[in-house]
Amino acid sequence: MAGLNDQAQWIVLLGLIISLGIFFLAIILNQSILVGQTTAESVLEFPKSDIQDLRSEVRFLAWDTTISAGDRTNCTKDIVFLALERKSSVINITPGTSSTNWIIHYNNGVTEYNEQIIYWDF
Amino acid sequence: MVDESCGQIYTIEGVAAAILMVTTTYLVLSTTIILTPGETHITDMQLEQLGYDALAVLDTPSEYGTQSRLSDYIQNNKKIEFNQYLLQLLNTRTDLPYDTLSYNASVFYRNSTDSLNYYSFSGSQYYRQNSVKVTRWVGIPDAVSAVSDMRSGDQTVLLEVLIWRD
Repeated sequence: MAGLNDQAQWIVLLGLIISLGIFFLAIILNQSILVGQTTAESVLEFPKSDIQDLRSEVRFLAWDTTISAGDRTNCTKDIVFLALERKSSVINITPGTSSTNWIIHYNNGVTEYNEQIIYWDF
Repeated sequence: MVDESCGQIYTIEGVAAAILMVTTTYLVLSTTIILTPGETHITDMQLEQLGYDALAVLDTPSEYGTQSRLSDYIQNNKKIEFNQYLLQLLNTRTDLPYDTLSYNASVFYRNSTDSLNYYSFSGSQYYRQNSVKVTRWVGIPDAVSAVSDMRSGDQTVLLEVLIWRD
């Protein structure tokens, strides 16, 4: 050990500090990719478009002046039936009258949405 | 006792370098696994939103009280027009060339005997590519005459569209 060259210790220490810096940058990069993935997963899981689409169709049924009451009942039955068969979600629609509001219930097993539609926003 | 305590920083450096190398290898490997082609959540999310938006555009009437394009296409079985307009919405970018999205559409409905039935609407053959499914409720004022077991009168059908990038 006596012949070991122990000069340039300062630059060795600097090398250590710089490599530690790169190491922490790598951790940040690693985390950022995970964040993108989990965000995308939660966006895909949340049925935002399903609910918007359901509201849009209910608005169509409520505003259509040419449709008869029997046909409207058939249309809501269609929605309930097809949602259960094809989208595995449970939907219940209570049609409104001139004095009561339309009420929708939506549940796809993960997300539940209930609304008494007072304001028909888009 | 012979003092041989020189060169301690070499030992420290050796240990530190070993830890750094092992941990960096782990980080690089785990990062790479996340970026494999199997991990497509982010592009799926974008594709799904694009699909829902395209169907919403198609199903919006140009003025209040009129029938939407999508409703007209389904009721009168206008597959060629639907194909043309949907592909235009999906594949148009701000610049050429066009995007390479394909789709396969089906219409599901409750038939006259209260059970589920469907027919293929239009689109390319689907060979199990990685795809996303988007749907749209469509109200049509009367049965599609080309489909034999549909009820007459107003009804709501479910348009299902598989979208994938070739």
